[in-house]
Amino acid sequence: MNDPYQILGVPETATDDEIKKAYRDLARKYHPDNYHDNPLADLAQEKMKEINAAYEEINKRRSGGTAAASGYRGYGSGSGGYQSYGSSSSSSVLQQVRIAIQTGNISRAEALLANYSDHNAEWNFLRGAVCYRRGWMDEAKRYYQTACQMDPNNAEYRQALDYMQNGNRNAYHPNGQGFGTEICGANLCAPLCCAYMLCNGGYYWLCC
Amino acid sequence: MFGYVRPPLQDLSAEETARFRRMYCGLCHTLGERYGQAARCILNYDFTYLAILLAPPEEGACSESRCAVKGFRKNTYRISDAAMALAADESVILAYWQLRDGVADHDWLHGLKYRSLSTVLEPAYKKAAALRPEYDALVRHQLQLLDKLEQENCDSIDRAADAFAMLLSGAAQEVDDPVRRRVLEQLLYHLGRWVYLMDAADDLKKDAASGNYNPLALRYGLTEGNWTAEARSEFAATLDHSIHMMTTAYELWDFGVWTPILETTLYIGLFRVGKAVLDGTFRPRRRGDERKISKKVEETT
Repeated sequence: MNDPYQILGVPETATDDEIKKAYRDLARKYHPDNYHDNPLADLAQEKMKEINAAYEEINKRRSGGTAAASGYRGYGSGSGGYQSYGSSSSSSVLQQVRIAIQTGNISRAEALLANYSDHNAEWNFLRGAVCYRRGWMDEAKRYYQTACQMDPNNAEYRQALDYMQNGNRNAYHPNGQGFGTEICGANLCAPLCCAYMLCNGGYYWLCC
Repeated sequence: MFGYVRPPLQDLSAEETARFRRMYCGLCHTLGERYGQAARCILNYDFTYLAILLAPPEEGACSESRCAVKGFRKNTYRISDAAMALAADESVILAYWQLRDGVADHDWLHGLKYRSLSTVLEPAYKKAAALRPEYDALVRHQLQLLDKLEQENCDSIDRAADAFAMLLSGAAQEVDDPVRRRVLEQLLYHLGRWVYLMDAADDLKKDAASGNYNPLALRYGLTEGNWTAEARSEFAATLDHSIHMMTTAYELWDFGVWTPILETTLYIGLFRVGKAVLDGTFRPRRRGDERKISKKVEETT
């Protein structure tokens, strides 16, 4: 393993509290909740494992090698883990779609859905999941909405729709600030115009 | 391109601002060295960010020169490297095809500006296209697709934005490291999506008056380019999802010395620009107005 202190971004002289704080911040950043359905979730999961191992290693070293035996488990390593599409499906085709999404094979999921004629609630939900992975956020929300309208009592569909509407409120922000366009204090125009740096700042003007 | 991605100066230290400027000036020099003086006219912040994203984690060597644009003051700039050359080549291709698009979208008189600039840029474009044929083919294809969607009055904001987002995401296709390429593709895809949607939001009123295609007006059924509270909130949520995709991608790669600039831009700058565009207080569209604001900044600082 690489230097665990370097992984947590702290010097070897850091206090236990400083290490804990650095670990918590990193864990919040790479937590499965912050990479919900994200096409790069596998990379975040790797990061999370690395951070957990580094924290565990530092604790072990500092407690004279006893921490590992204490049953320590890091953030994001529990069974909840990264988003899964493991729920049982109403048909074997839709089950295959779930597996394709889970393994990141979005083209296959899309092709299977395109050939499936029964556009029931689950089909709409999975179509939404495919759109989300593709970055088609507006369509994703609309498919989740349809899924919820067709099957209002399904918790999985409601959760997905809720995430599209409110999920970013809890997204990681380095300063712990709120995450969102509408909650940002927008006194920007003057500070964003670079008084001395620019010649065209985004225009096609002949300036040079 | 559009100028929506900007360094939020009040949140950056003088050191970071200077670093951004060195890259901006370095890209200008790279464009000049590779494509001649005329190509330097395409320089803007968006392309500077592209160069930063493609850059190695260290800043690299710098040099000094006197710059006519800055009143012949001495000026430090980053010396060209492979990543800046790539950013410059891709910038020329993107700028050229956007100008050609401008020619196609306007009548003879209003297209004059685009026609003359694209003529000036044509030799540079031919060279860049020969160096990066795959990227040229991608840009050409995606802009054709975008044109088609506009003609069809496509009311899916995702479909329209996707055609543009793929242009930016393709700018990472030559990156060797597979993890870095995945990270950059996702970051650039959502940056492209966000820029396209910002531009549509910024043009809502103008397009409503001229009758031009606007995906947001069609998607949300807006009249005279005015937001309803519900549509605005839905739109802000979709923008935030793209910003979240950018920040989560960004966190998975070590951008070295560029970290403060990128972090501030992604976590602070984009929200500010988005809010200002939605509030109708974003920067004026004419250069004269921008000069006035620049002057105001100088007076107040």
